[in-house]
Amino acid sequence: MVAKCQVISLCRSLLRAGCKYPDYNIREYTKRRTLDGFRMNKNLTDPSKVNDAYAEGKEQLEVVERVLKVYLAYPPKTKNIMELKV
Amino acid sequence: MTSKAVFSTIRRSLTKPRGGAVSRGHHLSTSAATASESYASDEHAILMKGVRISGRPLYLDMQSTTPLDPRVFDAMNASSIYDYGNPHSRTHLYGWEAENAVEVARIQVAKLIGASSKEIVFLSGATEANNTVVKGVMHFYKDKKRHVITTQTEHKCVLDSCRHLQQEGFEVTYLPVKTDGLVDLEMLRESIRPDTGLVSVMAVNNEIGVVQPMEEIGRICKEHKIPFHTDAAQAIGKIPVDVEKWNVSFMSMSGHKIYGPKGVGAMYVRRRPRVRLEPLMNGGGQERGLRSGTLATQQVVGFGVACELAMKEMEYDEKWIKRLQERLLNGVREKLDGVVVNGSLESRYAGNLNLSFAYVEGESLLMGLKEVAVSSGSACTSASLEPSYVLRALGVDEDMAHTSIRFGIGRFTTEEEIDKAVELTVKQVEKLREMSPLYEMVKDGIDIKNIQWSQH
Repeated sequence: MVAKCQVISLCRSLLRAGCKYPDYNIREYTKRRTLDGFRMNKNLTDPSKVNDAYAEGKEQLEVVERVLKVYLAYPPKTKNIMELKV
Repeated sequence: MTSKAVFSTIRRSLTKPRGGAVSRGHHLSTSAATASESYASDEHAILMKGVRISGRPLYLDMQSTTPLDPRVFDAMNASSIYDYGNPHSRTHLYGWEAENAVEVARIQVAKLIGASSKEIVFLSGATEANNTVVKGVMHFYKDKKRHVITTQTEHKCVLDSCRHLQQEGFEVTYLPVKTDGLVDLEMLRESIRPDTGLVSVMAVNNEIGVVQPMEEIGRICKEHKIPFHTDAAQAIGKIPVDVEKWNVSFMSMSGHKIYGPKGVGAMYVRRRPRVRLEPLMNGGGQERGLRSGTLATQQVVGFGVACELAMKEMEYDEKWIKRLQERLLNGVREKLDGVVVNGSLESRYAGNLNLSFAYVEGESLLMGLKEVAVSSGSACTSASLEPSYVLRALGVDEDMAHTSIRFGIGRFTTEEEIDKAVELTVKQVEKLREMSPLYEMVKDGIDIKNIQWSQH
């Protein structure tokens, strides 16, 4: 069964990768979805289910990092209104 | 690690960040400006079509189209690089791989609606699917069936196909809707004739967001053995869709309404009991002979992944969108009176909120809301100056129909965006009402409808 520190480190990597997105909506969605996803599975006790959830999380981390590279390769020319005003 | 440094330097050089307040003092410097005339040299301000906005507006128009989900984008990238073979080539690996990818997508779409994968036909979008079904079914059964039943609030493509059929000599009944947007089932029952060939009712309306009573309509059609077509472009992935429960024979689906790519859609054609259809696109007999032409593999793969994601995330998205809708409605209602929700509030999809503001002029409201990307009426009818036909069918007064705004909330909308949209809308409506003499008269207690306007 996957250890607690591994789960926390996966969550932290997802959040860190999500924060780098140049697009406001995708950034906020990644952060919110990661936290809610981990919260929903927080009470799982069955080891196979925990491992499945961890594997799915790792897959999503790969997707996030791959897509992040493409998004960063085409940076936006203008800022979103939500990012301008305080 | 080095790629990260490279990307970050590229990013830093291209978007010089200037946090804090918007710098409005900087005007165009023609020499420094790059090729495009549409952006001012001040990177925050955008000057387009004579309008100056300080940044990209917040996107609240999810009914016209949705942004591409990054997970869908990822799957499409992989597919465009490797699955370039023609899925209909049977003789080599490239064709087999592309065909596999398409079949996987077919299963993903079928699972979302509770159908079998053999009943899904991919095409270029919901408009093509609607055209194929409406015209194809009636042309196939043209000797015995001459009547079509549809509603007045359908999408333009269905209404236009029906008009085309009328010109060919078929008869069409456009059912009126009640003031809350729902179809009257008794009227539907009465309009059914022995030569009715098709009933077409959309599941979720794109302008007002009401959800029609699909199960009851399906039951009526089953009793009378009439094929039932539904345009579910706004419904799949958002409300639970089941072709068995709804008893539909045909369903149109669109990719770009569920965070998938544009240019792809699907059509569900029932196999048991079998319904026949004349194809719109003739050719090599692909897609069961119903839609010939090479499939755009990466679009189809993107559509499949979008459907699978929609199935997984439906509950989570629904909770979030419902919460945002309440926040929006309560926020606007707290500060303004004379706000009317068009369409039934109970039987509605939460992500579509169509509000009318009394005593305000519609065009000026939209022009003032340049920092929020919303739409008034649907994208299809906004070219003309007439108020939307859907609102007219609901029986909304002309002046209220002109001031209707459709807020579209989606998976990626945040609470801060909703708060900002509420703030901007309230500010704009108050400003316009301040200037409006009609509003002053209403505040003094005069009833506008009973005024005798004098002629000059």
